[in-house]
Amino acid sequence: MDENRNIIISAKDVEVKFRVRDRYLTAIRNVSLDLYEGETFAIVGESGSGKSVFTKTFTGMLESNGTISNGSVMFHGKDLTKLKTDKDWEGIRGAKISTIFQDPMTSLNPIRTIGSQITEVIEKHQGVSASEAKKQAIEMMERVGIKNAADRFDEYPFQYSGGMRQRIVIAIALSCHPEILICDEPTTALDVTIQAQIISLIRDLQKELKFTTLYITHDLGVVANVADRVGVMYGGQIIEYGNVEEVFFDPRHPYTWALLSSLPQLGVKGEDLFFIAGTPPSLFNEIKGDAFAPRNEHALKIDFVQEPPFYRVSDTHYAKTWLLDPRAPKLEKPEVIQNLHEKIQKMTDKGGAFHVE
Amino acid sequence: MEENSVKYDSDLFEFASYDKDESEHIAAPKYSYWKSVWRTFVKDKFTVGVAILLLILILFALIQPSVSGYDPLIAPNINNSEMRFIKPCAEHIFGTDNVGNEVFDVVWAGAKNSIIISFVCTFITMVLGVVIGAVWGFSKKIDKWMLEVYNVVANVPFLLLAMILSYVLGAGMGTLIFVMCVTEWVFVAFFIRTQVMIIRDREYNLASKCLGTSNWTMIKNNILPYLISVIMTYVSRMVPSLISYEVFLSYMGLGLGVTKASLGRMISIYTSYMNGYPHLFWIPVTVLAILSISLYIVGQKLADAADPRTHM
Amino acid sequence: MSNENREVILSIKHVDITFETGNKKKLVAVKDANFDIYKGETFALVGESGSGKTTLGRAILRINPCSAGEILFEGKRISGKISREEDRNVVRNIQMIFQDPAASLNERATIEYCVSEGLYNFHLYENEEDRVAKVDKALKDVGLLPEHKSRYPHEFSGGQRQRVGIARAMIMDPKFIVADEPISALDVSIRAQVLNLMNKLKAEKDLTYLFIAHDLSVVRFIADRIAVIHLGEIVEIADSETLFRYPLHPYTISLLSSVPMPDPIVERTRRHIDYDPSVLDQSGEKRELREIRPGHFILATSREYADYEYKLQSM
Repeated sequence: MDENRNIIISAKDVEVKFRVRDRYLTAIRNVSLDLYEGETFAIVGESGSGKSVFTKTFTGMLESNGTISNGSVMFHGKDLTKLKTDKDWEGIRGAKISTIFQDPMTSLNPIRTIGSQITEVIEKHQGVSASEAKKQAIEMMERVGIKNAADRFDEYPFQYSGGMRQRIVIAIALSCHPEILICDEPTTALDVTIQAQIISLIRDLQKELKFTTLYITHDLGVVANVADRVGVMYGGQIIEYGNVEEVFFDPRHPYTWALLSSLPQLGVKGEDLFFIAGTPPSLFNEIKGDAFAPRNEHALKIDFVQEPPFYRVSDTHYAKTWLLDPRAPKLEKPEVIQNLHEKIQKMTDKGGAFHVE
Repeated sequence: MEENSVKYDSDLFEFASYDKDESEHIAAPKYSYWKSVWRTFVKDKFTVGVAILLLILILFALIQPSVSGYDPLIAPNINNSEMRFIKPCAEHIFGTDNVGNEVFDVVWAGAKNSIIISFVCTFITMVLGVVIGAVWGFSKKIDKWMLEVYNVVANVPFLLLAMILSYVLGAGMGTLIFVMCVTEWVFVAFFIRTQVMIIRDREYNLASKCLGTSNWTMIKNNILPYLISVIMTYVSRMVPSLISYEVFLSYMGLGLGVTKASLGRMISIYTSYMNGYPHLFWIPVTVLAILSISLYIVGQKLADAADPRTHM
Repeated sequence: MSNENREVILSIKHVDITFETGNKKKLVAVKDANFDIYKGETFALVGESGSGKTTLGRAILRINPCSAGEILFEGKRISGKISREEDRNVVRNIQMIFQDPAASLNERATIEYCVSEGLYNFHLYENEEDRVAKVDKALKDVGLLPEHKSRYPHEFSGGQRQRVGIARAMIMDPKFIVADEPISALDVSIRAQVLNLMNKLKAEKDLTYLFIAHDLSVVRFIADRIAVIHLGEIVEIADSETLFRYPLHPYTISLLSSVPMPDPIVERTRRHIDYDPSVLDQSGEKRELREIRPGHFILATSREYADYEYKLQSM
């Protein structure tokens, strides 16, 4: 790994609270994250872990009852948490930082043509003429894999399939040449074969256009394909992060173990799959100790008393679990995810279940 | 980290006991629909104040007439010209009217009948409308011919019908209630039909169907509970509008006969004295306005509170 | 496993399902579906959105009518017009687990009512006490607690709600269950629990599942036999092992190649194969579902069949 990479955006001790009726909910609890230029960082977590909320602080898109109560997000020397009005965000949101959401229809206007929605963004951000914008828009549509882009320029979103719409959303997001692209579960609503296409599309475009990607998903299976680095979120915190190989082949937090172990790809027919019992913690309550402790069959007594600090596993890999403390008992990761690479290799090699020619 | 090693004994670094069921418990306090409705309702102090005022008004209107013994057919002071048209003063709070009756007594007797009529009518039309509307919205088969019924009934000129009915049946409380209900239910039913159609095809109804639940049970348990809020909104508009209706019909001479007091009759009689004695007109109108507006406010707030989206 | 000696519980016989889409246009959702499901197996129907898999599943529950063909359950026809008594019998014996547990539970009813609903409809209890005991047992079977009875669906997490959905189906003691993407609306960490539970209940209660899914990774874990459906047509049927080992139809291969593998090294070199129908025989010959090996069916023209046969031999 290149040690001298530039940090493009840096979140420090970010805390986000929501006011729901008369109560406060702490959705994000002191999360810090540095993104390096040109990398793909994936945030993995189940619903309610705060992964979407956290990234919304990068674009000032928190719901109106939410506030950033602590911390900073530095981007080009500016603290994004200080920006308030839409005018403050001009030139950043949708320009330098773009977002793709799960449901493409939330980003598309159903009563305007696809073409006009793309050209609008191009005209606004690049100040080019209408005919030039149209030319660029068609180019962009072709680039995201729309065949006969010129013919489909004047069609409406409902005439496009779900996968095609998501391609258009990507085209719109990229037509202002952002430095950071946030992908918030961009494939969850799509079919598996389309999912694979969209993921490889994003990856190819990234190579070509050199933006930084922040990829949010609940599915660790997808992450292996897209990410350079991975952060696992639980209960409003990042609990483990590292390079993608480190997180998959040498995970240290019991929650990461559990997420990996429960993937059906690793299941053996006739045997039970591993699963995480119970429900994520209610963020209305103050969380004492390790948020995952009540669902963790490997929890230590101290997990219920004191929040663990981050322990260093390698220069790039950190995990927030007491199991890494020298005083803690030694514990191997579960059997299913030991020798993960060998197992998967076997599955995808000739004669394996997921081998294709 | 240094601090931790001092603070925590190493015996804390042992495995804790683990109970799978433990994490299935729901920590939040139990949810109860009607309790939540109540809690949401009483949270707004202004509406609670209006509700209390409304309750006092209604109770007073129901009780006062039997205390005063007011009867529109008996006018004890009719021959005493000094007792007529007295302006409101300490002795006669609302003054007296053209036949020397206390306006205070007349207005409460009138309010009593108006309230009773509008409540009874609302009750009848809502029960009819909701039941018919629910079945109508639920069954695709009867929709076609119910729409025809709706088109006919909804297009009957109401005033004409009211005139004919009140001539044929004679003026009176029963006739008035009948007149006011005879076409109104169809609008309620149509409204409910549309609401039912919106939620009829939701997946949880399909699930009930797969469990063999009958249409009636589904209407009762799957559909109507979802409509409580919209029904309340409807009621909160209907009660005051029916009070005004009664006033309007009585004003037109199609309402209650001379034997019964009502706000409508009062207004209709007192209008003639508008020039010299405007208080005669304004007092019943004010009572009508206060009743209607507070009924509307309370009803709207109740409807709001009945919507579970407000229960957080 | 030889299929000939096995008891068929459900038979889909040349079923077409069409919908009117206004303007007298017809949308063919399912074309000539033809297969048997054996007692005690988990039969998976895999396809993407719009493939007709849910439509076909719902036809078994008599929600969607068949426009051609028929469906037999334990040898008796259950599609089309049947007597009220037979209809009740279908409801008793065939239950459904829905995709979205949030949408398929009555939000205004307690869990007790949701789970008891079927019991009430068929009066499957002796007295109140017996009913409550049955509900408690059903909840316990799916890992929930008796104290949950007085709660409302919105108080539960997605995984818990889905287990309520399973409990209310199981309490009817059905023989056959149509599970329509029962885990795709759930978080990945919860999915495993629901899959385990379905396997456990199947073994305990001697059930047969039709498991509808869009994703082969889940199906491999749970299914005995798999049918792949594409745009209303079943393109391949085989037992689970065969399908993964010898996938023949290009669409099946595309599906298989799009399963993401949790391994960054492997993923870097893995190829995703798009489904390209132009590789198929364009002669216009009608495709039929042909049995290429015992129990392995493939939708093919005679030329395609020969190609598949060649491919199988070289594998």
